[in-house]
Amino acid sequence: MKAMVEVKNLKKRYGDKQAVDGVSFEVKKGEIFGILGPNGAGKTTTLEMMETLRPIDEGEVYIDGINVSDDPQRIKYLIGVQPQTPAFQDKTKLSEVVEMFAAAYGEKVDVMQFLRDVELEEKANSYVETLSGGQKQRLSITTALVHGPKVFFLDEPTTGLDPQARRHLWDLIEKVRNKGISVIMTTHYMDEAEILCDRIAVMDNGKIVAIDTPKNLISQLLKRGFSKKEVVQQANLEDVFIDLTGKELRDGQ
Amino acid sequence: MANKSLYTVVTFVKINTKRFFRDKLALFFTIGFPLIFLFVFGGLNSGNKDVSFKVAIVNESSSSFAKDFVKNAENGKVLNVSKDVTTLDAAKEKMAKSELDAAIVLPKEFGEVQPNAQTPSGQAKIVYTQNNQQSAQALGSILDAQFKGVNAQFVKNETPFSVVSEQLNERSLSPFDYTFAGLLGFSIIGMGIFGPVNVFPELKKMGILRRLSTTPLRVWQYFLSTMIGQAVIGLISLGVMFAVAIWVFHLQVVGNYFELAAFLVLGIITILGIGLALGGWARNERQAAPLSNIIVFPMMFLSGTFFPRFLMPEWLQNLSAFLPLTPIIDGIRLIATEGKHFIDILPQLGMIGAWIVVIYFIAFRVFRWE
Repeated sequence: MKAMVEVKNLKKRYGDKQAVDGVSFEVKKGEIFGILGPNGAGKTTTLEMMETLRPIDEGEVYIDGINVSDDPQRIKYLIGVQPQTPAFQDKTKLSEVVEMFAAAYGEKVDVMQFLRDVELEEKANSYVETLSGGQKQRLSITTALVHGPKVFFLDEPTTGLDPQARRHLWDLIEKVRNKGISVIMTTHYMDEAEILCDRIAVMDNGKIVAIDTPKNLISQLLKRGFSKKEVVQQANLEDVFIDLTGKELRDGQ
Repeated sequence: MANKSLYTVVTFVKINTKRFFRDKLALFFTIGFPLIFLFVFGGLNSGNKDVSFKVAIVNESSSSFAKDFVKNAENGKVLNVSKDVTTLDAAKEKMAKSELDAAIVLPKEFGEVQPNAQTPSGQAKIVYTQNNQQSAQALGSILDAQFKGVNAQFVKNETPFSVVSEQLNERSLSPFDYTFAGLLGFSIIGMGIFGPVNVFPELKKMGILRRLSTTPLRVWQYFLSTMIGQAVIGLISLGVMFAVAIWVFHLQVVGNYFELAAFLVLGIITILGIGLALGGWARNERQAAPLSNIIVFPMMFLSGTFFPRFLMPEWLQNLSAFLPLTPIIDGIRLIATEGKHFIDILPQLGMIGAWIVVIYFIAFRVFRWE
């Protein structure tokens, strides 16, 4: 099967710094693809070039067979973008936010259905400034999907959220993938990448240093003779936290 | 495709206009703030329609004629007599502070009947300072005319030549007409320039415009929706100003209201273009604020916002005629208070048209989503 997203030898230079230095990967239809790496590794710049937000210095990006540099306007109909910190103009109702984003694509949609998808329908008539961080993320996700994109980009979607909201967002992202949408996301949380991502690219200094499924990456490391100093426990502190406080979302009231 | 593009614009206008009416602060600055200026400047200009002189009367005479004179002066409209000043020294002090225009001195023998005459006589003296020569001259003529009337009662004589004045019914422009057109200009600047210059950098900082740029939304759609929204809000704001000016300050609008509204929209869109260019270009507030001040304040003063252009030296008038706000303020005044039609103000329309092309060309070129 042909890949939904093809990235070939992508490069971007900012002054002296080669921010992205020959990145290549493919993402299949309905796959969750994670890009990991320390700050400044070039994750965000890579995403921005794929999202038509930055001009590409060298290399090519194809989304559904269309070259991003050749026809950025057509690409915009194929992609949905979730920014790092979603923000909306205040004094706007949630229903109006969804209506506006759909209108940006020239479309009129069933606003309530899109709010229901992210469990925000009871907030339809509230102003966006009354939302919690997690609710803003969910609203942002649904606005990025109003036009039925084929590829969905998320830049560190769970940064700053409490564990409950984080888990809730994971469920949402999996639901999106189950609709056949390819998801490309960056994250700093390894547990998130391990649970959510089908495949992972690890970036450092503008280059991809490893690319595989989380399972394979771990077993490759173990084959090289790596072992943790401490005995791996059957539960971690987050499991304790969730056990004590429950999985229920807290920002719904 | 064209329908979809239009649907995008209409939806943006609809929601953004709703947002505006939910924002109390924005409402105050677009509608309340210009009204405050209207009351301040309108009050200044409409108060002193009747010319009156502030004078003190120093009466040293005890004649009944002098007493009647003082009484008449105090009750009349022309003189505003300051009753607490009774001595020349006190009057001099007040004149030095410009609290009085002049003092009228009635000497001791004023109004007495002199031994060799049958009728009372006397000479009143007007005392004034250097700064008040004009008022004193006018006051002299007024008193002169009054005394002539009195003289005629005592001494019958022929007056072969005389002068009568006749008031024409035609209206001339009052200072308020100029002030009001200028205030509308000020209001248009406030909405069209300070609005986008404050809002756009904020939207960029929050990443809202950047998020929009990942959608197929075009810059022209975004601009057009802003223009339509601003025109609607602007017409409401200026309409309120007109209503207040008509009811409170007796502004007489003789022009056609449809032409006036169309012209106001044209003016709003022209000036909004400057705001879109500045706000669209600036990455943050620090870039936006200084540049907009450099452009706005000279234009505001030179285009006759706070005082009419005809008060400026001629070379400055010639120069400021080419500023974008000047034909807007002139055009509003010509249509509203002089009853001119579009066909009469083609020079103004031509200049506005040229500015719209230039301003929006720049605005589209420099616009940045982040």
